[in-house]
Amino acid sequence: MAPKSETLTSDPATDSIDPILHILRLVPYAFLRPPRLRLKLPSLTLPSPMTTYSLTLLTYFMVVSGIVYDVIVEPPGIGSTQDRATGAVRPVVFLPGRVNGQYIIEGLSSGFMFVLGGTGIVLMDLALDRNRARSVKVSFASAGVSFVVIAYVMSMLFIRIKIPAYLR
Amino acid sequence: MVGKVEAVNGGVKPTTTTPASSETPADLAPPAFSFRALKLKTKQQELLIRVTILCLVYVLAFIARLFSVLRYESMIHEFDPYFNYRTTLYLTQKGFYEFWNWFDSESWYPLGRIIGGTLYPGLMVTAALIYWTLRFLRFAVHIREVCVLTAPFFASNTTLVAYFFGKELWDSGAGLVAAALIAICPGYISRSVAGSYDNEAVAIFALLLTFYLFVKAVNMGSLAWALASAFGYFYMVSAWGGYVFIINLIPLYVLVLLITGRYSMRLYVAYNCMYVLGMLLAMQIRFVGFQHVQSGEHMAAMGVFFLMQVFYFLDWVKYLLNDSKLFQAFLRITVTCAVVVGAVALGVGTASGYISPWTGRFYSLLDPTYAKDHIPIIASVSEHQPTAWSSFMFDFHILLFLFPAGLYFCFKRLTDATIFIVMYGLTSMYFAGVMVRLILVATPAVCLISAVAVSATIKNLTQLLRAKNKAAGPGKGATSVKASSKASLDQSLPFQRNGAIALLVGAFYLLSRYATHCTWVTSEAYSSPSIVLAARGAYGNRVIFDDYREAYFWLRQNTPSDAKVMSWWDYGYQITAMGNRTVIVDNNTWNNTHIATVGRAMSSYEDEAYEIMRSLDVDYVLVVFGGVTGYSSDDINKFLWMVRIGGGVFPVIKEPDYLVNGEYRVDKGAAPKMLNCLM
Repeated sequence: MAPKSETLTSDPATDSIDPILHILRLVPYAFLRPPRLRLKLPSLTLPSPMTTYSLTLLTYFMVVSGIVYDVIVEPPGIGSTQDRATGAVRPVVFLPGRVNGQYIIEGLSSGFMFVLGGTGIVLMDLALDRNRARSVKVSFASAGVSFVVIAYVMSMLFIRIKIPAYLR
Repeated sequence: MVGKVEAVNGGVKPTTTTPASSETPADLAPPAFSFRALKLKTKQQELLIRVTILCLVYVLAFIARLFSVLRYESMIHEFDPYFNYRTTLYLTQKGFYEFWNWFDSESWYPLGRIIGGTLYPGLMVTAALIYWTLRFLRFAVHIREVCVLTAPFFASNTTLVAYFFGKELWDSGAGLVAAALIAICPGYISRSVAGSYDNEAVAIFALLLTFYLFVKAVNMGSLAWALASAFGYFYMVSAWGGYVFIINLIPLYVLVLLITGRYSMRLYVAYNCMYVLGMLLAMQIRFVGFQHVQSGEHMAAMGVFFLMQVFYFLDWVKYLLNDSKLFQAFLRITVTCAVVVGAVALGVGTASGYISPWTGRFYSLLDPTYAKDHIPIIASVSEHQPTAWSSFMFDFHILLFLFPAGLYFCFKRLTDATIFIVMYGLTSMYFAGVMVRLILVATPAVCLISAVAVSATIKNLTQLLRAKNKAAGPGKGATSVKASSKASLDQSLPFQRNGAIALLVGAFYLLSRYATHCTWVTSEAYSSPSIVLAARGAYGNRVIFDDYREAYFWLRQNTPSDAKVMSWWDYGYQITAMGNRTVIVDNNTWNNTHIATVGRAMSSYEDEAYEIMRSLDVDYVLVVFGGVTGYSSDDINKFLWMVRIGGGVFPVIKEPDYLVNGEYRVDKGAAPKMLNCLM
């Protein structure tokens, strides 16, 4: 298909057999002149893999903290129980009794522990990259190991508090 | 080459990374037989290790699921498996044509149920084939044993598919780890324990097989693999309603590949063959019928199919035209036209009603609040509740840490295969967050991605270990290059080798804790048959309640054979399978009004309820009461759901009538309507 032309006297326009082109030349564009615009369509570039990975990590944190459970069941942020002897109200962090139930804050803190553990392993891999300074590599490695250890210990503690009969 | 020995069931073993050098104790050999003949080359040693590991994992996956068979007896668990068992029995007794055209008048009295057209036959046909094969080989097994052990058998097969999938994604080390992880992962064990004769038992095997064959087809570009994946898809459609996940994930994956500029002839061949053949094969299942062209849930696949044709056409035009600017103009016009035509076609189809909208079950996955407000029957099933963090931890343990790490490794090395597993993992984790039951679908993805993390991390650590062993290697060029470059760093990190050993020990400790956790969870939480209950008596002795089966047997022995039994829909399948009596409603829940009638009968005053029951020809009413033993999921606990479902269709039943000050009470202080109703 020949490219459409806007001026009336260019040769490709008169050579064209396209009827719509001829109609358009006559009806609006005989007396209308399109303005010269300097608009450009924004070009979309794909994000880099690591950007996508960080977004993914954020989504994973939200899902694994039980955000869908929070939205549908609407549990309180933190539970409370009344002390029988003194009548004072004490906060309860972990919803007792069921495996599939949580308060909002306990969900978020457990999700944070999981993401911390994952980040620790990623840091350990980054520490083996040969193109970094030695001090950076050492700090990455030690941070990675400590993250994994902390995350594992805390997760075990959480699950033991939540389910008293765990591994007994 | 990494020959790995995985921690199995609590044992902790260090890796064997020393290259092949088998000793030949010729001086110790007796003269008649020389050990020199047993000397294996490195490749053969590696093959032997891999085959041994796979065999061990296969056996492990089978025996980890046998707890309830050893503790109680070989019986079918839960509710749905009883229906599957009854249909399999009918299939083996009467043959395939009777089964395919079966109209059952024993359930949903007086409506009856077209069983041939409303079930997924894959599971029953599989079990019947295994039964006939064993009978042909002269093993006199009973069909019940085959049904009970189908799920562990297919779980073992899943571990093999996971090995091949891991090999395709990353390398054979990751495949071995994936097989080991999936063999004992509690998320999978929960629905595939021996006795759990349900669709998911074969469906997860079919799901993973279809995905593996499709990824292999995309990697190879071969028509044969694409054909195999179409047949894998057919098996999945015949097995479970969750095939909708496949038919939406694969088009989404193709779309992502197109967007990231990875269009290739291999993708074209693989997707077209799989979609067209898979769709045609899927229409052979009566329950699915023409949904692939009529239902909104399947339209994504069709849209991507047409988009692929547009891409191919544009590629061809680009090849013909040598002018770049001309081609750009043509590209813009064509893409705009294609998108407009597609949107118009979709709009016309939806508006005219030809394309049905998303059904409630699947729509509630996209908008989780939908079921709570509109469809109480879906919201009432305990498996459909959203997931809390502790369910994730229970079912995945260590894998929750390894999953984000594995995603990182996959993003570092982006190929067609890793893009697929990342998408599978992310979408399935989201759905697992929406519904507890779907943790099962996420399990293979989580295991595979975690296997990538484990394999990559351990490979890094062992490379640190091997950096100094320059002399011992059998001359691999890459290793010696790395060794020389690491040698310069070795002086700066003097404890590198010890650190690597410590981290390896830590990694194996974590994996052994995973194995312990999985065994404990399987033993305590997922091996209960639900039809036989166990509790601790007053003196600490174990008391076993077989009340359900005794009640059904009583019905079988002591009632006339044409008696009709009314109960809540939970028990329908078990009553027809074990009690052999006609029921009014059962677990299929295909007719909400019929269930609401039963709910209304249970919650009305006794005289009104009697009228309803006479109109349904009911002779017996079965209710479950747990007050004497403290059993908490009895009909009193489910009663409010009966009220809600009944009130959804018959507004005369109002929930506040049964509550006292907004609280549900069943003692003396209960609401008067509650005290006088049939329940």
